[in-house]
Amino acid sequence: MNTIDTLQFASRALTAHRLRTFLTASGIAIGIAAVILLTSIGEGIQRFVVSEFTQFGTNIINVTPGKINTHGGSLGAIGSARLLTIEDAMALKHSRYVQYINASVMGNAEIRAQGRSRRVTVYGQSPDFPNVFNMSVSTGQFLPTDDLRNPRAYAVLGAKVRTELFGNTNPLGAILQVGESRFRVIGVMAAKGQVLGFDLDDTVYIPTTRALEVFNREGLMEINVAYRPEAPLQAVTDDLHRILVARHGREDFTLTPQQQMLSTLTTVLNVLKFAVAALGGISLLVGAVGMVTLMHIAVSERIAEIGLLTAMGATRTRIRILFLMESTVLATLGGLGGLIIGTSIAWLLKVFVSGLPVSTPWDYVLGALALSVLIGLAAGVLPAMRAANLDPVTALRTE
Amino acid sequence: MIHLADITRIFQMGDQSVHALNKINLDIAAGEYVSIMGPSGSGKSTLLNIIGLLDRPNKGCYELDGKNVTDLTETEQAQIRRDKIGFVFQSFHLVPRLTAAENIEMPLILGEIPPDERKSRVTEALQAFDLLSRAQHRPAELSGGQRQRVAIARATILRPKAILADEPTGNLDHSIGAEVMMLLETLCQAGTTLIVVTHDRELSARAKRHIGMRDGKIVTDTP
Amino acid sequence: MTLNDTLLLSLRAVTSYRIRSLLIVLAMALGVAAVVMLTALGDGARRYVVNQFSSIGTNLIAVMPGRAETSGAFLGATMGRTPRDLTLKDAQLVGRLPQVKRYAPLNVGVAELSAANRLRDVTVLGSTADLIPIRHMNLARGSFLANDSEHSAQIVLGAKLAQEFFPTSSAIGQRIRLDENRFLVTGILALQGESMGFNTDEIVIIPIDYAQSLFNTTSLFRILIEARSHSEIQSAKIAIHDTLKQSHDGEEDVTIITQDAVLETFDRILHALTLAVAGIAAISLAVAGILIMNVMLVAISQRTPEIGLLKAIGANAADIRRLFFAEALWLSLAGTVIGFLLGQFGSLLLRLAYPQLPAWAPAWAIIAGIIVALITGILASLLPSSRAARLDPVKALGKK
Repeated sequence: MNTIDTLQFASRALTAHRLRTFLTASGIAIGIAAVILLTSIGEGIQRFVVSEFTQFGTNIINVTPGKINTHGGSLGAIGSARLLTIEDAMALKHSRYVQYINASVMGNAEIRAQGRSRRVTVYGQSPDFPNVFNMSVSTGQFLPTDDLRNPRAYAVLGAKVRTELFGNTNPLGAILQVGESRFRVIGVMAAKGQVLGFDLDDTVYIPTTRALEVFNREGLMEINVAYRPEAPLQAVTDDLHRILVARHGREDFTLTPQQQMLSTLTTVLNVLKFAVAALGGISLLVGAVGMVTLMHIAVSERIAEIGLLTAMGATRTRIRILFLMESTVLATLGGLGGLIIGTSIAWLLKVFVSGLPVSTPWDYVLGALALSVLIGLAAGVLPAMRAANLDPVTALRTE
Repeated sequence: MIHLADITRIFQMGDQSVHALNKINLDIAAGEYVSIMGPSGSGKSTLLNIIGLLDRPNKGCYELDGKNVTDLTETEQAQIRRDKIGFVFQSFHLVPRLTAAENIEMPLILGEIPPDERKSRVTEALQAFDLLSRAQHRPAELSGGQRQRVAIARATILRPKAILADEPTGNLDHSIGAEVMMLLETLCQAGTTLIVVTHDRELSARAKRHIGMRDGKIVTDTP
Repeated sequence: MTLNDTLLLSLRAVTSYRIRSLLIVLAMALGVAAVVMLTALGDGARRYVVNQFSSIGTNLIAVMPGRAETSGAFLGATMGRTPRDLTLKDAQLVGRLPQVKRYAPLNVGVAELSAANRLRDVTVLGSTADLIPIRHMNLARGSFLANDSEHSAQIVLGAKLAQEFFPTSSAIGQRIRLDENRFLVTGILALQGESMGFNTDEIVIIPIDYAQSLFNTTSLFRILIEARSHSEIQSAKIAIHDTLKQSHDGEEDVTIITQDAVLETFDRILHALTLAVAGIAAISLAVAGILIMNVMLVAISQRTPEIGLLKAIGANAADIRRLFFAEALWLSLAGTVIGFLLGQFGSLLLRLAYPQLPAWAPAWAIIAGIIVALITGILASLLPSSRAARLDPVKALGKK
């Protein structure tokens, strides 16, 4: 019996009882749909978080004072006798791997302009800031390349601050008061939106040294180093390390490559995605049990037919293959159905529910399809073996 | 053509061994019309199953067409069953979800005959057994006589050397049964060996050779 | 047919098809077990987080410098810098409020600890003696700023630090250096382990003014407050807000967060998550229901002669319907009970494997899971049993 005939024979067996076939396939379909839908949401979240994280560029190393990092945050940035200084940042720029550096300080302050006031996060940044973090200016310019130790008192507004304080009028040239100090507005940043909960447009950027004055601080919180993309990370880290140790006399700082944080994040999210897929897998498991049950019933029902096939000269192997093919075809159909349902719901969610990141990972989809084929095979094994091992004499005696 | 030497078949029933066949010696020539009769439990059905290679003897030797088929592998036996033997059962054993034509086609599919050849041979068979008008109907839509004709068409489509019929008219009424027997006998006249197992005396009388069995042994063998 | 007979007959029918009934029970059990175990996991996580968060203080209120226009996190506050400082004077003002039981000003930072030829960067907390009870820390030995010795250079070491630097001798009375400043060890914290990401075994505590001089700042990182009672937390929050606004010349430049509010947020989020997870697991119960319906439909077509016979001897449609309904009920019940036991066993294994996680399936989940499972089984039997009830007995008996 060649393959096409076997396939046809199996399909006829399935179409003979359409409701039953449909219900069994539904069990598998629901399971596969659940797995695909959930992993789509998982993948969507992973991509969203990673893209938020990496939108600023990945070839960045953050230097923070002190050698302690608690869960990503740097305590040294909050309080430390050891200081990271503007001079440190300038020294780091001399490394041959470094493209841009940014000396960073931040805090919360009240800003005033045009008779309006607002409490915002104020960042002290260097002129290279837009280059390091892939940010761009929409009006005017960013802070000019003054001497980092004595910069002019210019300010760049975040998009939201501009609208809140200046409405539609041109803010360039206006005076902005930050705390007790006065700055002249020379630019507005392009809107960036929210990143992981923080509103990046509700901010003001002033030169780092001026910010240190405003917040009455001596040391920087962070130095961001953007290195040449083709440079090997280890070489860059070593070079930066060398420069700073030479200046400080010891290792009283921490170097954290963005890549490192990214890979940790990706690993965590991968585990999450897998866990979520397993959640959907529970329904699939139950669907598989359903398939085994139905195949078992099918064999019981068709005992006489199996005896007949043997009498007509079918080998045991052929009978085994027939039933395996039936269960595999059934499971694959269910899997395809589930695939369509799952991806459709995922797409609908993406279109109609804004804010929910959904992205269908095609490797998981193919995996799900392969899984349903495997389920068909596995579910059919025992019933197929039972069918093949039936004694034809007894089988034929069954009415 | 069929040569059985000292064939013994023992069944285990609980803690007892039952000799369903006890040292059977039997020779049947090609083209013979044989009936096997006996009370229930005499072993006649078991004998038929052994001849049809559906069952293996515990002891003894079976030669079919000059070849020793007693200890063949399952695959080899399947092939012989397919090519040389046709079964006709009391309860027809048609596959309920297939049409008459598809039921007849089954041995051809198992025999890996190419699809076009299959179609012509099935049409031929449908014609020979006067089933053309019922070809696309399922067994549930056929009368008893039509069903048995489909079963015989299926059993003979590969032109077997022997037809083994176990109570072929058991589920048919008298006149239809007679028609069916005539069909089988026509085939026998064309050269196929016909072995009929029955406990119907009238049916048995139609055969040319009568074998009587009791308690797993052949007790009479008369023309 | 009496209820008793219906139940018995249906039970016999179910047990006579051993393998298929077993498989159905397995399917349902898997679903129920999944719901039980996953909610146990989720609720365990919720309780773990809530416990952790509760253990860091009672009736706790935190004041931090800076404020966002929109509520929620804002980077400035976590870093704690503003033009106008949150000062020790502010802390004292707040401390005098009637709703406040205890208060502690707080500065944090990093410094290098050197002692006994060892060097290591440590986390430094600068505060007053009240920090220790407010944050539910315990002094294993010694004291901190006892008897108004507020201005001496005392230091308390975390348990592991004390062990690391002074493994053989008592740390108390030893002199150590933080960066270039000398301190006298007067106390050692009890071993506490990690809580809320903060490991108290590797911190040191020094008086607030020394911390401020060490980190060269006059601004506080936080003011921690313990309200007098739970009911006074809200009024305390308002009083603190008003006091500081006045002290800061009418500017509202601080954020006040209550432990309660944060706890509640966590509780709600994790509860919702557990619910979602349970819901997804419950989809498997729907699949089990489909299986029951499927098998029942098959069974009815196989047992048509039997049904015909029952009708012939006097059973009416309602009897037949009840019979098959009862079969579905038996299967669902068995699946539910076994699934429940499996789920509880699984939760037990979870608790043994992760003792910090109190993985107990909450009552609402168990009840909901059981109800959904039973309802699924019942709904699944509706179509099949009405089909069986409608069979024409003559046709049914005539079928071979």
